[in-house]
Amino acid sequence: MKEKNPRNSFGYRMKRDWIRNRSLYILVLPVLLFYILFHYKPMYGAIIAFKDYTPTLGVSGSPWVGLENFIRFFKSVYFGRLIKNTILLSVYSLAFGFPAPIILALLLNEVRNKHFKNVTQTITYLPHFISLIVVTGMLTDFSMTSGLFNDMIAFFGGERSPLLQNPKLYRTMYVASGIWQQVGWGSIIYLSALAGVDQQLYEAASIDGAGKWKQLLNVTLPGIAPTIIIMLIMRVGQLMSMGYEKTILLYNPSTYDTADIISSYIYRVGLMEQDWSYSTAVGLFNSVINFCLLIVTNKISRKFSETSLW
Amino acid sequence: MRKRTYALLMAAAMAATTVTGCGSSGNGGSGNGGLGSPAGETTTAAAAQASEGNKEGAATAPAEFSYPMAAGDKLQYWCDLTTTVSANYSNLGETPFGQGWQKNTGVEIEFLHPPTGQMKEQFSLILADGNLPDLMEYNWTVDYPGGPEKAIKDNVIMPLNDIFAQYCPNITKYLEENPDIDRMIKTDEGHYYVFPFIRGDENLMNTIGLMLRKDWLDELGMEVPTTIDEWHDVLTAFKDKKGCIAPYSFEYTNGQYLGADPFVAAFGVNRSFYLGSDGTVHFGATEPGFKDYLATMNQWYSEGLIDPDLATLKNDQVSAKITNGQAGASMGQAGSRMGTWTTAARSTTPEFTLVPAPVPTLEKGGQAEMGYIENPFSGRASVAVTTSCKDIERAARLMDWAYGEEGHMFFNFGIEGESYTMVDGYPTYTEAILNNPDGLPVSQAMSAYIRGNYNGPFVQDIRYLEQYYTMEEQRQTPIVWGQCNGAAHTMPPITPTSDESKEFSTIMNEINTYRDEMILKFIFGTESVDNFDTYVKNIENMGLARALEIQNAALDRYNAR
Repeated sequence: MKEKNPRNSFGYRMKRDWIRNRSLYILVLPVLLFYILFHYKPMYGAIIAFKDYTPTLGVSGSPWVGLENFIRFFKSVYFGRLIKNTILLSVYSLAFGFPAPIILALLLNEVRNKHFKNVTQTITYLPHFISLIVVTGMLTDFSMTSGLFNDMIAFFGGERSPLLQNPKLYRTMYVASGIWQQVGWGSIIYLSALAGVDQQLYEAASIDGAGKWKQLLNVTLPGIAPTIIIMLIMRVGQLMSMGYEKTILLYNPSTYDTADIISSYIYRVGLMEQDWSYSTAVGLFNSVINFCLLIVTNKISRKFSETSLW
Repeated sequence: MRKRTYALLMAAAMAATTVTGCGSSGNGGSGNGGLGSPAGETTTAAAAQASEGNKEGAATAPAEFSYPMAAGDKLQYWCDLTTTVSANYSNLGETPFGQGWQKNTGVEIEFLHPPTGQMKEQFSLILADGNLPDLMEYNWTVDYPGGPEKAIKDNVIMPLNDIFAQYCPNITKYLEENPDIDRMIKTDEGHYYVFPFIRGDENLMNTIGLMLRKDWLDELGMEVPTTIDEWHDVLTAFKDKKGCIAPYSFEYTNGQYLGADPFVAAFGVNRSFYLGSDGTVHFGATEPGFKDYLATMNQWYSEGLIDPDLATLKNDQVSAKITNGQAGASMGQAGSRMGTWTTAARSTTPEFTLVPAPVPTLEKGGQAEMGYIENPFSGRASVAVTTSCKDIERAARLMDWAYGEEGHMFFNFGIEGESYTMVDGYPTYTEAILNNPDGLPVSQAMSAYIRGNYNGPFVQDIRYLEQYYTMEEQRQTPIVWGQCNGAAHTMPPITPTSDESKEFSTIMNEINTYRDEMILKFIFGTESVDNFDTYVKNIENMGLARALEIQNAALDRYNAR
């Protein structure tokens, strides 16, 4: 047995660290528990994707069926459409929804009138606090033939039509309403990043003769780039995990063509038809894709910039 | 630099927590499984114990039994809280009905309710959780995956044959007197599984139909339409002369209405399965009549005779359109739609009158072959005793009470002296119900005292309906809407075997999604009706033949019961 310096042993260091940073550990404990309870423990249940799950037999008692549930999903006539809709809706949400709060934050940052800035910020935050069910209810009513949107269309000489029954408009409605609701809230993190950019850099830049635009490109954006990249990686990691709530509130059979996504399909099959194993298999498949996307984005980011999640 | 990276990571972690907190619910299906407990073992033990108790109980003379029962365990009772109750009460136990039921039977009940409109989801969650209430009111016949026999095999609910025989003299007597109903409420294997909701009169079975503005018809000099062509004329007149923007509007998002649609019936088909004249099961949505229906609807839609917002219509929007004159015809129940709309509209339009219209026909003078007529037992709102129930006798006696004379009166008319009085042997609702002093609509005043005006585990009495319909037009509805041979085509409550059932629901899941989507496309004209054959072919490729085979086999077994 090698005698080691007791002061360097793992246990000793742990103990010392604990004494020194006790409050920090206590602070992080709830978050840790949250993850264990709500994100790691439920993973055990994911094995029902490989079983024919019956509640009374329990997770461990239900018979194994191998990949049957996955094969059923891949063979389903809706497989292609679900994947396509989920990806397209996510990509649009990302392409239009991701830059929006950054642009808003940059714009707000340039506003010198404090009063105007505060009012604008408050107005753009507010929709975030409206319940989704209310937002979709408003959207549904506004989109009716006699609704607000159609009033506006008619005012500009357009033809009235039921907007939510048009599969071609569905994605626009979905993405635009999402931006409207989240843009203000999303800009907070960028505003705080902007506040951290060294003011001396701006002074130096303006002495060097850089105008507002050049300052934006060469000082502001590089200053908040790490934040943007971290946020982007996380967004990409969730590319496929579109929640079902908004979809099931907004869609109807006439817009299934563009609206039906993996999670709404899981909802219909899993909760409405009580086919738990099948819907878990679909959900698991979804998560695996997400996981791969996250890793790939992180890799790319690490290669091209110095920021990455790990 | 390091510090900033940490700060960023912290920010990222926090953001991730909030984002995943909402986002991950999408694949929540995986989360539910973890809670499943080996409930099977404990409950079978309890069941065994209970059935031993049964034998002893049977040995002592059952005739001595009388209500109310002696104090004992509190029973958990899970059921949907219907909107006419939830308007004034948050729990059925708070209503005079809930309290009276407990008082009369001597059984303490804890009522549990799913959030409004989420019964099926909640049911799934309760099952997945494994912690079952003692008694569960649900459509076990249709909405339990795998059917009722599977529910028994899964050890979720108990077969009731022995329980009926030992503790339930009332329902046993009723079933002996009504062998046709006895056949409906059994599985193919002969198991009873619920305390059923039964409509006790055929006039209670055709509660949904067409209705339209009588005052407008009179003004325009038109008759109540009876054929598709006449309907076309009437709706056109409503549009051109009365300025309707949605002449025919109905609650399209309500599945019950879609299944009952009289315009589909006019073409001799049904949206889903029906019993053909040849005695076999048919799937209406692929038959030639359905193509004609779609072509007609497409024509009407393009002419502006049908509400342009059809696919998204909910009750409140339809109500608004009917009562403010944007729509002139609709579909629905005589009570909750015709009655409610008329009362609401008359405050501003005193002449507002809705009359029922029969199922349309294609040629003048005939009677429609199809039409919406329910079975006396549809499976809805029927109560099963779960395997979690410890005191089975108590639960059984509680439920059986409703099928006896005393319970029957209580469920249908409430408390004598409070909600009804006997006038010449006829239970007559009091002023408190029909003309509520607090201004409650009749439906809400009734729902506080009875279950007769919606559903539940009892035999519904026609005498409720005779008084519930206060307007002459409402009283006509059973006769007008009953003018069809629909009863001969209603599917009996057949039950596929548990093996077939999974296959069946997998097939029908795909077919129904596709059908619902295509029907709207055909009506809106985004897909030409000429492509109907392709649509039929696609449905056939999804396995329709196999689904029909399963249904027909189930029908054979049903007929052999």
